Amino acid sequence: MLSVTHASLAFGGIRALDDVSFTAETGHITAIIGPNGAGKTSLFNIISGFYQPQSGSIHFDGTDITGMRADKRAAMGMARTFQNIALFRGMTVLDNIKLGGHTRLRSGFWSSGFYYGAARREEAALRADIERDVIDFLELDHIRKAPVAALPYGLQKRVELARALAMRPKVLLLDEPVAGMNREETEDMARFILDIQDRWETTILLVEHDMGMVMDISNKVIVLNFGRKIADGTPDVVQRQPDVIEAYLGTSEDREVTV
Amino acid sequence: MGQFVQYLINGVISGGILALIALGIVSVFKATKVVNFAHGHLILFGAYFYFTFAVMLPEAAFMPDWVRSWEPEWLVAYRADAPSFSPKAAIASWISDVPRILLGLAGALAANALLALLIERLVMRPLLGQSTFAMILSTVGLIWVLEGSAGLIWTAEAEQVPSLGPNFPIRFELFGANLFLFSGSLFNLLIALALFAALMLVLRYTRSGVAIRATAEDQSTAYAMGINVPRVFSSAWLIASTTGAVAGAILATRTGLSPAIGLFGLSVLAVVLMGGLDSFAGVLLASMLIGVLQAMTQWKLGGEYAEIVPYVAVLIVILIRPHGFLGQEEIERI
Amino acid sequence: MITGHYKTRYTADEGIWSTWPKQAGLVAALVALAVLPLIANNYVLLLAGQIAIFIIAVVGLNVLVGYTGLMSLGHGAFFAIGAYTTVAVHHEFPNTFPLITLLISIAVAAAFGVLFGLPSLRVKGLYLAVATLSANFIVLFLIRQEWLAEWTGGVSGTETPNAVLFGYELRSQRAQYYFIVPIMLIMLLFAQNLFRTRFGRALIAIRDKDYSAEILGISLYSHKLKSFAISAAYCGAAGCLWAYFFPAILPEDFGLNMSITLVVCLVAGGMGRTLGPVFGTVLILLVPEILKIVFANVTDGDANAQMLFSPMRDIAFGVLIIGFLIFEPMGLVSIWDRFWRFVDRWPFSK
Ligand SMILES: Nc1ncnc2c1ncn2[C@@H]1O[C@H](COP(=O)(O)OP(=O)(O)O)[C@@H](O)[C@H]1O
Ligand SMILES: [Mg+2]
Repeated sequence: MLSVTHASLAFGGIRALDDVSFTAETGHITAIIGPNGAGKTSLFNIISGFYQPQSGSIHFDGTDITGMRADKRAAMGMARTFQNIALFRGMTVLDNIKLGGHTRLRSGFWSSGFYYGAARREEAALRADIERDVIDFLELDHIRKAPVAALPYGLQKRVELARALAMRPKVLLLDEPVAGMNREETEDMARFILDIQDRWETTILLVEHDMGMVMDISNKVIVLNFGRKIADGTPDVVQRQPDVIEAYLGTSEDREVTV
Repeated sequence: MGQFVQYLINGVISGGILALIALGIVSVFKATKVVNFAHGHLILFGAYFYFTFAVMLPEAAFMPDWVRSWEPEWLVAYRADAPSFSPKAAIASWISDVPRILLGLAGALAANALLALLIERLVMRPLLGQSTFAMILSTVGLIWVLEGSAGLIWTAEAEQVPSLGPNFPIRFELFGANLFLFSGSLFNLLIALALFAALMLVLRYTRSGVAIRATAEDQSTAYAMGINVPRVFSSAWLIASTTGAVAGAILATRTGLSPAIGLFGLSVLAVVLMGGLDSFAGVLLASMLIGVLQAMTQWKLGGEYAEIVPYVAVLIVILIRPHGFLGQEEIERI
Repeated sequence: MITGHYKTRYTADEGIWSTWPKQAGLVAALVALAVLPLIANNYVLLLAGQIAIFIIAVVGLNVLVGYTGLMSLGHGAFFAIGAYTTVAVHHEFPNTFPLITLLISIAVAAAFGVLFGLPSLRVKGLYLAVATLSANFIVLFLIRQEWLAEWTGGVSGTETPNAVLFGYELRSQRAQYYFIVPIMLIMLLFAQNLFRTRFGRALIAIRDKDYSAEILGISLYSHKLKSFAISAAYCGAAGCLWAYFFPAILPEDFGLNMSITLVVCLVAGGMGRTLGPVFGTVLILLVPEILKIVFANVTDGDANAQMLFSPMRDIAFGVLIIGFLIFEPMGLVSIWDRFWRFVDRWPFSK
């Protein structure tokens, strides 16, 4: 479904990604782990099209998407959430989620402006769709008309997932979906992710520090350290690899331990 | 070739004045992150204040005669044998103007400083923490307040204001062409560059200069380090208003007193963006470039075209280098 | 949230005139607009026509500034392009049907809008403000040029045509009013609809968080340019009506002062809201008139004192902008919202 081949990305002197290759299988959950600054978000950024890798290529759904603009990739069925929540803070939950439906709607400028007719029907259909597949599913009924800025952190994360889900994506990139959440919220989120995989056979890429969750739900784990891939395999295998343990527990004092 | 050099000289001279004006915009931006669209109108006030203190006040009945025209005996003697229009005569007449020039400058500096402090307190301070948009718009609002106030205060027909330096034509030959410039313009250029350089030194080597630079770098860290940030804001406005007063005085002698000075300030805003909002060096470069480009346009196409040079130039530069020649690009981490 | 209004269908929930007090208010407003010319004198109608034209332009500015979050200090230029296009069309084809001229003006302005919008693909905020301001200066410079004077009248301006509808020349204030106000209402409704559907939502998304919008499949390039085009088109329409409404135009009419006035109307009314431009324009264009009346009473028509009028008006405008930014940054609509919240909750509101 999605494959990255020999991708490298540098910011000035910092090598954020160094010859990284991996494949995410259709319908699987692939987790990307690694210490802070390992390049996980950068990897997401080259996959979703915010940065262009200096070398290497990215294939999605059978097409080479290297060099393609981010919005085009989204239209192909790629959705993502951000490590630092990037919701439209001025809007309600419902409007945020409706925006997720952007690529699935057709009405353009003229039919939007005239409203009564095609646009109105489309809006109503989208609304019904969202209510059923997203709002009910993610249990957001009680806050659909609340402005997102007023919601607690955990709910905002969930709204962001809802927005991504409204795109009906083929691939869903989740950047630290449970960071900063308590046990209960984390379990909810893990359940939602598994349900999404189950219900739509969505291919999911997951960056996460919560090892318990990663090992529980993912089919495959990729470990990055200093921009390089140091391990790639099933959770059981990766967990036992010595250099992974070292990268995580750290041999030098100055690394932040993030297990 | 001779013509070219002549216009090059003209260009550098107006470039110096552009730089002096730009200085005020950059200082305020660096310290407060506010781009002052009304800087031209601050300068307009500087010009009118200079007029008030150098022309109107000396004419007042209660002022001693020597303020209006200082004629000590040695000056009379010195002047006696000077032919009219000679440098000597110009210097003599300048000396007799010195008291009112000084009064004018002192008055303009003080009054403009006071005005800037008022603006900072009453308008900018309450808007702290609001969007850049709100900040920009409030300075746009200031344009109107200042322009209107100037129209209310100075209703009288404006007269000639005394030039800051002695003003006589300097003629010389280069590449077989006769070139000339006014010593007054040269003097203005020197003042502008000296002020620019002085401010650089202040920012680099004095305590308050360092405070300003630290605030420019990172406001909240500056707060945390115990820097009095509100005071930094005030000092930035003081720098802008005082250099602006000098620029106003210079403009008043060059182009006469008129509300057009305020609009001129807007064209300097274009120059500032070209150079890079937060870079003194970039802005100096852009000022000189625009000054020269304008002079050349004036030469080849006429004054009407020269007026829009900064606007055309800034559009081109922004499209190629969005943050100007030397401006720092803000990176957005995702 | 207390609303007290329950809906059974999603279309109803998406509606704008959802409650009966709002519907009643709408009907009352339309009736008032329809009968105004029957009771008002020419002075009031002149003012009303001017306000209606400005509302169109400010609605356009709102599309760009309020909804897309792109700053412009150069919308006077689009106004000018609309007005001068109208003059030029009538210069070439004197008997053009006014609505055709209107469409041509809109199209030409929209094309310039795309051109002006190009910098927005690279810069935001302040840089864009100065870029648009520069473009405004350049457009006026071109209009003043000798080689365009045949169509523009050059520096000294030009007389403008009157609209002729089916052989009836709209000369009186009243006739013009009935021509302009319906166009304004339609354009207002169009804008309102835009921003509750896909296209408008995408613009708002760009304003709120551009990279987030991009990740949802919204092309920043095409939407920013389209926003510029729409915004310019509204101003072009306003310019066209302006040319029909007033007997003559000058390049200076459309300078920085007009561009800023448009922004002031928007800020005073409330950005990113449909009714913002309406409230803001009414307030801002009434201020000089009120000032004029007060002034005439205070000074008894003394000619010297009249000279002070224009500076006083400038100060009033400036103080209004700053005042709004400091005390009511969301503009007049927030007062309007408070009013409707009160009505909605009545009799439980305090
Ligand atoms: N826009 C950027 N400019 C410069 N350096 C960046 C940028 N984005 C990321 N980096 C650097 O790249 C490295 C990897 O960062 P990131 O991908 O965010 O790590 P992770 O998500 O694994 O914590 C870090 O050293 C970070 O500082
Ligand atoms: Mg990260």
